[in-house]
Amino acid sequence: MNTFLAALSSGTSRGAIFALVALGLVIVWRGAGIVNFAQMGQAMFSTYIASTLITNGNSYWIAFFVALISGAVLGALLDILVMRPLSNKKQSELLSSESMRAAVPVIASLGILGVLQALAGIIWAAEERGFPAPAKQEGFTVAGNVLPFTSFDLFVVSIVTVTLIITTLFFTKTGIGLAMRATALNQEVAKLSGIRTNRTRTISWAISGAASSLAGLLITPTSNLSPNSLDLVLIVGFTAAVVGGLDSPAGAVLGGFILGMVISFVTFYSTPEDVFLAILAVLLIVLIIRPRGILGSKDARRV
Amino acid sequence: MLKVENLVTRFGSVVALDDVSMTAQESKITTVIGANGAGKSTLLRTISGLEHPAAGSITWKGQSILGKRPEEIVRLGIAHVPEGHAVISELSVEENISMGSLFRRKKYKSDVTAAMDEMYALFPRLKERRKQLAGTLSGGERQMLAISRALVSRPQLLLLDEPSLGLAPLVVEQIIDSVNTLCRTTGLSVLLVEQNANTALGVADHGVLLALGKVVADRPASELKADATLRAAYLGY
Repeated sequence: MNTFLAALSSGTSRGAIFALVALGLVIVWRGAGIVNFAQMGQAMFSTYIASTLITNGNSYWIAFFVALISGAVLGALLDILVMRPLSNKKQSELLSSESMRAAVPVIASLGILGVLQALAGIIWAAEERGFPAPAKQEGFTVAGNVLPFTSFDLFVVSIVTVTLIITTLFFTKTGIGLAMRATALNQEVAKLSGIRTNRTRTISWAISGAASSLAGLLITPTSNLSPNSLDLVLIVGFTAAVVGGLDSPAGAVLGGFILGMVISFVTFYSTPEDVFLAILAVLLIVLIIRPRGILGSKDARRV
Repeated sequence: MLKVENLVTRFGSVVALDDVSMTAQESKITTVIGANGAGKSTLLRTISGLEHPAAGSITWKGQSILGKRPEEIVRLGIAHVPEGHAVISELSVEENISMGSLFRRKKYKSDVTAAMDEMYALFPRLKERRKQLAGTLSGGERQMLAISRALVSRPQLLLLDEPSLGLAPLVVEQIIDSVNTLCRTTGLSVLLVEQNANTALGVADHGVLLALGKVVADRPASELKADATLRAAYLGY
């Protein structure tokens, strides 16, 4: 029974973080129409910034908000400096076909990931460092029993829930949200409607950058920080987004929790070595039964 | 109102528009007719900023709009409904319409709602389906939606590309009638591209006949309609 509860609580808090990563991917997918593999590189970078601030004596919360803002700024910069020039090069031979136009930005995002990791290695050295949590990482005590669910877990789950609600409302109820969806779905019609698509895409990148930085801040207290420490999180987060439906914020969260649970239960009841096999199994099952993802819409494009 | 002079647009080595000059008059329907591949759509796409011309000039209300982005040109009052019922299938009918007035929502808040209500009055079928995804609409309804999306931007000039494409004659008539009524009652100027010359010349004031990227005739619509030689030579009936 105790093992079960431990697996459940660890699955919940891990799932919340994967949900956040998946959410960041979904935002760029919906706003700009590409899968951004540099996302956790951006998160790693802003978590390092937070870590440096804390080391220099600033409070956790100052570092927290600076990291969110720098995540947003970094996201916007990547769009302006890399993605926008790429999409303006329609005349070039390489980008003349539709499939290459879809593939090139994704490959560019992998390149950005490499650059960010190398830069972080140069600036902060490549050794692992710890990162503090804003809440206690000891389990709650009920009637003398220590539960495996900690106040930090509670913090993570509530932040992710709030973020999800805000993002969903933002996409469906605001003008900018509609402009972002229109831009991702059909750029030509969006432009003809007077939507400034370049600006809209940059906003998507900024929001996604902030969301993934949040994920970085929430996962590093349990996983430590190094230039490559978030690679695995990205793989699981991407799988979560695909499982849930790449164009659905709610699907991203659902996918995140499913994978969090699967990973946690496999770790507790089997061995950690089986985790990847389990992730792959979940991915395959979903792709075979429902290729668009659990909550994905029918017309979503393929990656 | 809109003046196009010596416009040249190329796609690689293909010359789609070859020294085209024409005007769209205020509060009138001007139609551009011609066979498939004559350059009609390219003309509209160049005016709205989707294609970049190699030479020539486009003047709108006395100012050059050459080199401006499509999203800026629509803000100047030229709305383009491209070929093929251009709506976003994954968005609802209501979202598709309000997309067209997003850029006006802060400055003209009350008018944005009014404009949408006008569209629902113009095309009541859209109102019945306002929560449905645009992808579930029929071809005619999608064309109505595309036109509504353009009209809520409160344009002074509407560029309408082949509204009859793939639609039943009755639906075409209904759509053309609505546009005609709008032009006559609100003073909207229309630049209508059509392959179906008869329909277009029936409502238009002025007609421009394009063939292989060149203007071969530029006359009042009634004269063009009556010219049997031109019809036989360029439109094949």
